[in-house]
Amino acid sequence: MSNINEENSLAENQVETENSSKTRKYLIFIIHDTETSDLKLGINAEYVVEILNNYTLTYLPQMPEYVRGIFNMRGQIIPVMDMRLRLNKPAGEKALLVVLNYGGIELGILVDAVDRMLDIEDQAITTVPSQKAQQFVSGICATPDQSGDLMILDYDQLFAHE
Amino acid sequence: MGTSNDILDTYIYENNSMLEQLESIVLDAEAIDTFSQDNINEIFRIMHTIKGSSAMMEFDTLATVAHRIEDLFFIIRENSMEVVSDENRPALFNMLFQAVDYFRTEMEKIEGGQPLDKDIDDFMADINSLIAKINGEEAPEASDTGLEASADSEGSSAAAPVGNPDFPYQLLVFFDEGSGMENLRAFMLVTSIRDFCSDADFLFIPEAVENDFSTAEQIIENGFLLMFKNSSDREKTIPIVRSAGSVKAYEPHDYVVAENKPEKEESEQASVAVKEEAPVAQAKVSKHADVPAVSSPAVAQQHQKESLISVHQSKLDKLSALVGEIVITEAMVTGSPDLKDVGNLDAFAKSARQLRKLTDELQDIAMSLRMVPISTSFQKMNRIVRDMSKKLNKRAKLTIIGETTEVDKTIVDNIGDPIMHMVRNAMDHGIEDTEEERIAANKDPVGEIILSAQDTGSDVIIEIRDDGQGVNDEAVLNKAIKNGLASPDVDYTHKEILNFLLMPGFSTNTNVTEFSGRGVGMDVVKRGVEELGGTVTISSQQGKGMTTTMKIPLTMAIMDGMEVCVGDTIFTIPIHNIRQSFKISADEVLHDTVDGEIIKLMDNFYPIVRAKELFALPYGVDEIEDGILLWLEAGDTSYCLLVDELIGEQQVVVKPMPTYVKNFDIQNYGIIGCSILGDGSISLILDVGNLSDIAFRK
Repeated sequence: MSNINEENSLAENQVETENSSKTRKYLIFIIHDTETSDLKLGINAEYVVEILNNYTLTYLPQMPEYVRGIFNMRGQIIPVMDMRLRLNKPAGEKALLVVLNYGGIELGILVDAVDRMLDIEDQAITTVPSQKAQQFVSGICATPDQSGDLMILDYDQLFAHE
Repeated sequence: MGTSNDILDTYIYENNSMLEQLESIVLDAEAIDTFSQDNINEIFRIMHTIKGSSAMMEFDTLATVAHRIEDLFFIIRENSMEVVSDENRPALFNMLFQAVDYFRTEMEKIEGGQPLDKDIDDFMADINSLIAKINGEEAPEASDTGLEASADSEGSSAAAPVGNPDFPYQLLVFFDEGSGMENLRAFMLVTSIRDFCSDADFLFIPEAVENDFSTAEQIIENGFLLMFKNSSDREKTIPIVRSAGSVKAYEPHDYVVAENKPEKEESEQASVAVKEEAPVAQAKVSKHADVPAVSSPAVAQQHQKESLISVHQSKLDKLSALVGEIVITEAMVTGSPDLKDVGNLDAFAKSARQLRKLTDELQDIAMSLRMVPISTSFQKMNRIVRDMSKKLNKRAKLTIIGETTEVDKTIVDNIGDPIMHMVRNAMDHGIEDTEEERIAANKDPVGEIILSAQDTGSDVIIEIRDDGQGVNDEAVLNKAIKNGLASPDVDYTHKEILNFLLMPGFSTNTNVTEFSGRGVGMDVVKRGVEELGGTVTISSQQGKGMTTTMKIPLTMAIMDGMEVCVGDTIFTIPIHNIRQSFKISADEVLHDTVDGEIIKLMDNFYPIVRAKELFALPYGVDEIEDGILLWLEAGDTSYCLLVDELIGEQQVVVKPMPTYVKNFDIQNYGIIGCSILGDGSISLILDVGNLSDIAFRK
């Protein structure tokens, strides 16, 4: 199994180097912010397992505040992180749950709303000009339809624990 | 990578199981001081297989050692066990134990990806000298077999010690009888040797092989002697000699100065019968009366292979997890609240019952797949008892009862060390030092250790019982006081004193011995067993012996738990940790100086832990009268946990915490896992022992 995966990713990398303007699918979601404009974030759709709006969270003690607990997705126990709290924003009211599986580790993230899926070329993503160390973001890009700019969420930083 | 690792896994697995088999054969054989013909064939087969598979995996040192032992057993197989005289038998058994240990260590190294031990010379020398000894004895009676030449040559070399101190590494070659032109054959060897070895570095006797035909006679009589300056050249020559036609036998000798005793020389010789001898030997086997005995184990082996397959443990883990889910889902479906609105459910109820029956059966089978007999863990103890009995010079026998008892694979993997510690302890401290002491106490001079396993349905009970001197309460108490474990003013009961044995840093033996008494041991046993969810108890009667009892739940995947709730959070507490549950009124609670709550139960005081506060839960009862207390016990800790209410007892499938969450060290907060309840909600499984650590650490 792992063999096949490795080969696949190898093949992908090769394609990438040959043709650097590879297009990937991104899931765009929104974190509302009343003080500034809403935050638009994109995540590579490859690692999105599913999006749920109906779930029961079980509180886990002794966790950082942003880990809201665990929930049962068809027999699998999946931890849930609240993106609002993770980004140091006040807790929101109602949220959607996006379940991710990155490198075999599963994590659900709570977001305010899901916008849509977008195809974005690798080329279109540029690094973020930043005054302070960026959190969780690996790049910035304009949406192809010019509806606004979005940040690309970095999986490695998201899944890292402190 | 995947495939080659699979092959490596199989290689290690097969070799380890063969080594286990070998060890048990040798242990049995040592007891009766001989090998049966079946055993010899079996050892020969094992060594042959190890040799073959090791060579295939390119573990050359392993192949070499196995090959040599195979050679040895070839000789024994041909001549039966009689060829090994009584005084050589202990050496043979010891060598085989050494071989088992050697292969095991190397297997571990291969498993760990470490380089192999390249230095096998000492061990090879042991095997070679054993072969030489056996051959030496065999020579007189083997005069009509193909090994005649080696016997002859020993005679000749002993009779006429020829040689040159400058060329100490000799090689004596014999050609087939009647092959003719021995001098020219010898000269051809010399020519081949010249390819890699200069004339100045080697000599040969007789010298005039090229031209003088009369030397053929000398060669027939005394063999053709090659002498080398360097042993490496001789090593290179051996394969040439071996592959040359018409060579009957060759013998490496080292030149020994005349004053050395001939016996020494003999023991250093390793005479090797070359491959041409093999057909003769084979022919002899077929003439042998016990031909069916040779083939029958092979047939049995074949049969066994057909009815067994090995499955990777991870697949079994997945299967049992999945079956657990099915069982729970079945309960969810048949108990669905939607069914309340439907009128007639007769047909549904019938099908549901059928489904339940099938899922129960499925669960039983899935669990049984993970069950293996405990015998592997037990058999290893034979070796421990044997080795220690030799080293400590105490005679003792090990009696094994109930080794067919089946337990979860995880238990078998982890119970080995605790059992080994206890057996060592029994040998070292339990059994009396001298037989006189035992006779004086009216006991059999030979000590006995009984290792037993018993299945009670939900737990397996493993008992290690010795008939030694038992525990000296006074000595233990003094030691405990000395180590600060006990207070000199307190009057301890027998049971309490025994419990000191299980505390960290306790050792009753004043001298640190090789086997036990390092100050670790019993507490390691306790921790190991508790990790498996079990308990250890010791009982002892002075002068009669000591018994250690380990009680371990049969399987870890499914657990009987008590569901309790604190606000919205549901916890599962392992039922075997619960002593009692009860309600109390606020005035029964005592307070200590730091506002800790204490309750008095059966004349003892126990701290109260509030689950709500411990886990900083946002909900749950605050008045102690509104909740319920659970009196919990794990190992030697005991306390009361306050929860809102009891929901009920339930069998749950234990699921590990998700990886992401584990990174936050949740195991150290008293939560070992979770389980999914019938309605799909999740309960958190508490580790009662660990929980107390957190509660009292604060």
